[in-house]
Amino acid sequence: MDTPTPSRRAVLRWGTGAAAALTAAPALTACGQTVGAARTTRQEPTRRGQKVKLVFWTWVPMQKTVDLWNRTHPGIQVEMQAIPANVQGGYQKMHSSLAAGNPPDLAQVEYHELPGFMLVNGLTDLSAYGADKLRDSYVPWQWKQGVFDGRVYTIPQASGPMGLFYRRDLFPQWGIETPATWAEFEKAARVVKARGGGARICAFAPNQPSWFAAMCWQRGARWVRTEGDTWVVDMNDDLSREVADYWARMVRDDLVFVEPDMSSAWYRHVQTGQISAWVGPQWGDALLRGNAPGTKGKWRVAQLPQWKAGQNASANWGGSSTAILQGSRHPREALQFAHWINTDRQAVDLNIGVGYGWPAAAGILRGSALDRPDPFFGGQRYNDVFAASDRAIDTSWKWSPTTDADFAQLQDAFGAAIASDGALASTLAGAQKSTVDNLLAKGLKARSAR
Amino acid sequence: MSVSTPRIDEPAAASADAPRSTGQRRDGGPRRAVKPSRILLAALLAVAALYFLLPVYWLVVASTKSSPDLFGTFGLWFSDPQWLHNLSQVFSYSDGIFWNWTWNSLLYAGVGGALATLLAGAAGYALAVYRFRGREAVFKVVLAGVLLPSTALALPMYLLFSKVGLANTYWAVLIPSLVSPFGVYLCRIYAEAAVPAEMLEAARVDGAGEWRIFGTLVLRTMTPALVTVFLFQFVGIWNNYFLPLVMLSDDRKYPITLGLTTWQSAADRTPELYQLTVGGAFLSILPLAAAMLVLQRYWRSGLTQGSVKG
Repeated sequence: MDTPTPSRRAVLRWGTGAAAALTAAPALTACGQTVGAARTTRQEPTRRGQKVKLVFWTWVPMQKTVDLWNRTHPGIQVEMQAIPANVQGGYQKMHSSLAAGNPPDLAQVEYHELPGFMLVNGLTDLSAYGADKLRDSYVPWQWKQGVFDGRVYTIPQASGPMGLFYRRDLFPQWGIETPATWAEFEKAARVVKARGGGARICAFAPNQPSWFAAMCWQRGARWVRTEGDTWVVDMNDDLSREVADYWARMVRDDLVFVEPDMSSAWYRHVQTGQISAWVGPQWGDALLRGNAPGTKGKWRVAQLPQWKAGQNASANWGGSSTAILQGSRHPREALQFAHWINTDRQAVDLNIGVGYGWPAAAGILRGSALDRPDPFFGGQRYNDVFAASDRAIDTSWKWSPTTDADFAQLQDAFGAAIASDGALASTLAGAQKSTVDNLLAKGLKARSAR
Repeated sequence: MSVSTPRIDEPAAASADAPRSTGQRRDGGPRRAVKPSRILLAALLAVAALYFLLPVYWLVVASTKSSPDLFGTFGLWFSDPQWLHNLSQVFSYSDGIFWNWTWNSLLYAGVGGALATLLAGAAGYALAVYRFRGREAVFKVVLAGVLLPSTALALPMYLLFSKVGLANTYWAVLIPSLVSPFGVYLCRIYAEAAVPAEMLEAARVDGAGEWRIFGTLVLRTMTPALVTVFLFQFVGIWNNYFLPLVMLSDDRKYPITLGLTTWQSAADRTPELYQLTVGGAFLSILPLAAAMLVLQRYWRSGLTQGSVKG
């Protein structure tokens, strides 16, 4: 490559001037990083009657929504390009395009991936284009996921507030009431094992660190925080260890299946009723409906079990935003599109139709495609439960800019622990250390909290 | 995909094995007891064959099922087959984009494989027959190319292609597919063994130019090696994922591998796509199987000759 690859600081200086340099959160300023976007965002003037063309990368099949935009906005035409999802190379692709200086204008980026993009200066500072006044249109915690050092870097798209899917037909057969606390959930699990004829209450998936993170999120853990320009990693705290011990006990006492969720074995268990509950996200409804149609009418959704009776703490699993990548030539138009696709009522209904998740737009549930009794859930207006869940999510959770690597290591450690002594909590110290190492390797300041 | 591997191993092992067994029988007269080592060998080969063929069998069975049956029924037996329905779904989903992907894969693998074979044949022949300064150095550089994984080159290549404005074009996948260091290596070894110097001399005496010699005589003599190189390259390009992933963003230009991944990506939200992904995977191995069946005769002799004489 013969382009100069200036350090990140230099990129910021060269960028859109002082504004860009000030926006980077101090903790995301790496020393000696040589990666970064090869081109910075700049608004290109448009002549009257000139058509603006935008490119949008996503793996959610939103073509119909984009078609609607193109019909109603003849001056700004968006081309949606379906790319492979996150782990299948989607982010790799975005990072390559940033490095090459020909990124798409818009791209779907998950919340936990945003800090990683910030690190390479990969996102456009949207506050410069008036995004701050859009804040009230979105669920607060989701909006905050895209705010770094007081500047807005992305438009929230959808999330996955969690709840308890359970089999309304099976639980009473075994004399189980819907568990409201984790202690009751464990008791119920023992009953299912005793009376269920081989059934279990649910599965523990060692391959799903983001699920485990959500469980710790609900418990009140905060895995990373920033102090000035230093990342403080706190995965080995008492709360996370408590969550790990809880699930280790469930595994040790054979109260749960140990298998990857959303795998064929898991789906078979769901179809046959061997799995009678799922601590899952709202977007899991499509998976149950599509892959276990024979269980129609038998499912219900309840609030996530609580650690203390009467508490109201929830968690989130998964979530994406519509980001405007660094290097766009039409950030103003791109921002207009990003806001429209995530808040326009018709657009959101189309997005719901293709299962994009739980809308990040505030107050849009009433009257939307989600706001109706569902025969699959026996006529329950089950999304009311998720709406309540969404409101009960703690807004202060932060992601490390190295989440991909951190989670890969945590997943390996969980797999190894399950294969040997099953002591999940003892893996957290190692996971914490490798997270700190990952951050240091990026040229960031980082330390363990304890 | 795993289908390619057994075809390489098995015929090679079997043919290395075959002459010995017939020879023994001819010399040995009356039937002799089968050696235990041969039984062991046969058993090992059978296990290997099973290991490689089972996934293919699973794929055939799975492509006949509905999405829920895919998970809910025994994987190795049929349940309520609906093959035609599934396959027509594959071809009609999203305005028949699967047709685009199939056509693209055939283009990348077919044209890329053919041109790569021609280049490798010419380079291998030249390295084998002509003496020139730096010949060994050139050959060693090519050998080093065999060791470099193409994945490692994809990103730098993407940056280069972006610079010249070729990213997200058909060329971005075709051009890197045109070189096959392994092909050059194989062709050189083969040409050294199979192209007699006397033949070249005779042709030159008869007044044939170097290009004509290459085009009429050499290519024909080298056919087994060329078919081998073509198959390797065809399969390699067909199954390549990372290069098109980085190079292409317009899903209408995707090859099947990449296209199916976008379906699988969306299957979390749209479960019917599980079925379409499996059905598409089944369809995508058909051209490979066809190429293998048609060309395996050459493939076999190409490999064994290369290995014996090299």
